[in-house]
Amino acid sequence: MTTKKANAKRLAIYLLIVFAFSILLIILRKPISSSETFYFFIAELFCASPAVASLITRTVTKEGFRDMKLHLNLSRNFRWYLLAFALPLICFSASKLIPIIISGHSDWLSGFTFGNILAVILMLAAQSAVSSVSLLGEELGWRGYMNQKMEPLLGTVGTCLFGGVVWGLWHFPIDIANYLEGYGTLSNSLETAFGRLILLVCFGVFLMWLTKKTNSVFPAVVAHFMFNMSQTALMSLLSQGNIPENADLGMIASVFEYVTMILLAVGFMTLLLYERKKAPKTP
Amino acid sequence: MTGLVYKEWKQNYWFILSMLICGAFPLLFLLSEKNGISDPAHINDGRSLGLIIGFLLAGGIQTMVLKGDDRKLWGYWITSTSDGFKGFLRVKYEMIFGMVLLFLFSLQMFDELFCAIAADIGLTEVGDISNIGLPLIFFQLLLRAIDIPFTLRYGNKKGSLIKLIYSLVFAIILSAMVLTNFCNISVILFDAYEKLFTGDHLSLLFGVFAVSVLVIYYLSYRISCRVYLKGVEQYDH
Repeated sequence: MTTKKANAKRLAIYLLIVFAFSILLIILRKPISSSETFYFFIAELFCASPAVASLITRTVTKEGFRDMKLHLNLSRNFRWYLLAFALPLICFSASKLIPIIISGHSDWLSGFTFGNILAVILMLAAQSAVSSVSLLGEELGWRGYMNQKMEPLLGTVGTCLFGGVVWGLWHFPIDIANYLEGYGTLSNSLETAFGRLILLVCFGVFLMWLTKKTNSVFPAVVAHFMFNMSQTALMSLLSQGNIPENADLGMIASVFEYVTMILLAVGFMTLLLYERKKAPKTP
Repeated sequence: MTGLVYKEWKQNYWFILSMLICGAFPLLFLLSEKNGISDPAHINDGRSLGLIIGFLLAGGIQTMVLKGDDRKLWGYWITSTSDGFKGFLRVKYEMIFGMVLLFLFSLQMFDELFCAIAADIGLTEVGDISNIGLPLIFFQLLLRAIDIPFTLRYGNKKGSLIKLIYSLVFAIILSAMVLTNFCNISVILFDAYEKLFTGDHLSLLFGVFAVSVLVIYYLSYRISCRVYLKGVEQYDH
């Protein structure tokens, strides 16, 4: 079997397993809503499903467990770990704060004192060192396995786009959970899912670049953790300000929510293509 | 480096996996007692006690992974390899850090499971104890950052004794300073204590503490690198 065929087969098995876990959340909707304990087990399984799927695929296809990118490579890549920590925080800060400042509502930012900002940064730094490891369940699958198999088949740009869409679709059961439970409308749920899809496609480019640059999934784990936590941290600072209950920045907020991530994606896609061009060609 | 990781795993996998059990202690403690979960008044006492036991047990096990390598022959041999003793110590530090994370992961996971079980039997007022887990983990890392250089420099038995002596001397000096109010230290400590429990400073102080612990853990590795060969000279005596 050629390498391309073998990669396609491995990728297909991987995607089949990972989406089977994802669909479980929809199929088992009733027992999940009636039992917290059942929900706990299914949710844990769902979160770890990319890693589980990659391990099962490696076992089934007998390709072994090499190149799982589990080395920290910390000493050589410390600056990239710092980038993984800082960039999501900077991006989300820009996407939330710039619209507020542009619309002339700087008074809403009274929670952003030096002490509060320092506290948030230090807390995030500490948490990213010890709590981010829980995201290994995702990154071991997406960046540590799927991207590696996808890139020889679809190229770098194709992997970023299609890989991001796959990653976004995997979250789909979470996005429509509210609608299935009877809260909210289908259009709201689909809007959330589509918004997440755009953000994940864009952010996936950065994660792919990080993994390739450091040959480790751990910087991607830290960046993914910061992607999740930066938003919470910013919201906690915003909630300390004097924001009126019916505050609405309108279109500008929606635009900035995506603009920073799109710029990030374009920047790192360029870097990925440049580094690929620069890399020595293997026969 | 992969070889060293493999060696540590083969030698210590029971210790590493036992972190999962230590994290489950608050839940196991409740399950082992009659009416442990069904009696709401008893729940928090049982969980706290289980947490303390699990924390102490995990700490003890984390130091046990240093045993067995305090041999002169091993020390000289590992120094002569391409990774050197620095590579060996790095893997040890990374493994112990990993064990601490595994303990935290297990603690939080079993706590979530407990909360889910409690909610299913109608005990909705039970809160999670994961927030306590994070400060505990940093405290555990701080303790390991102190333990490891002592053990590597003086060997297992002697290292524990010397660490105990240093700790006692430190405690006596600090107590004497507080009692005599040397350099106004009592007031400074009392102010810091007051600030610690006022909302505004809690996260900042904890953030500073947590990041400092990470730096201290790294410095501990550098100190261990400096003292390791001196320690090897004294092993097997």
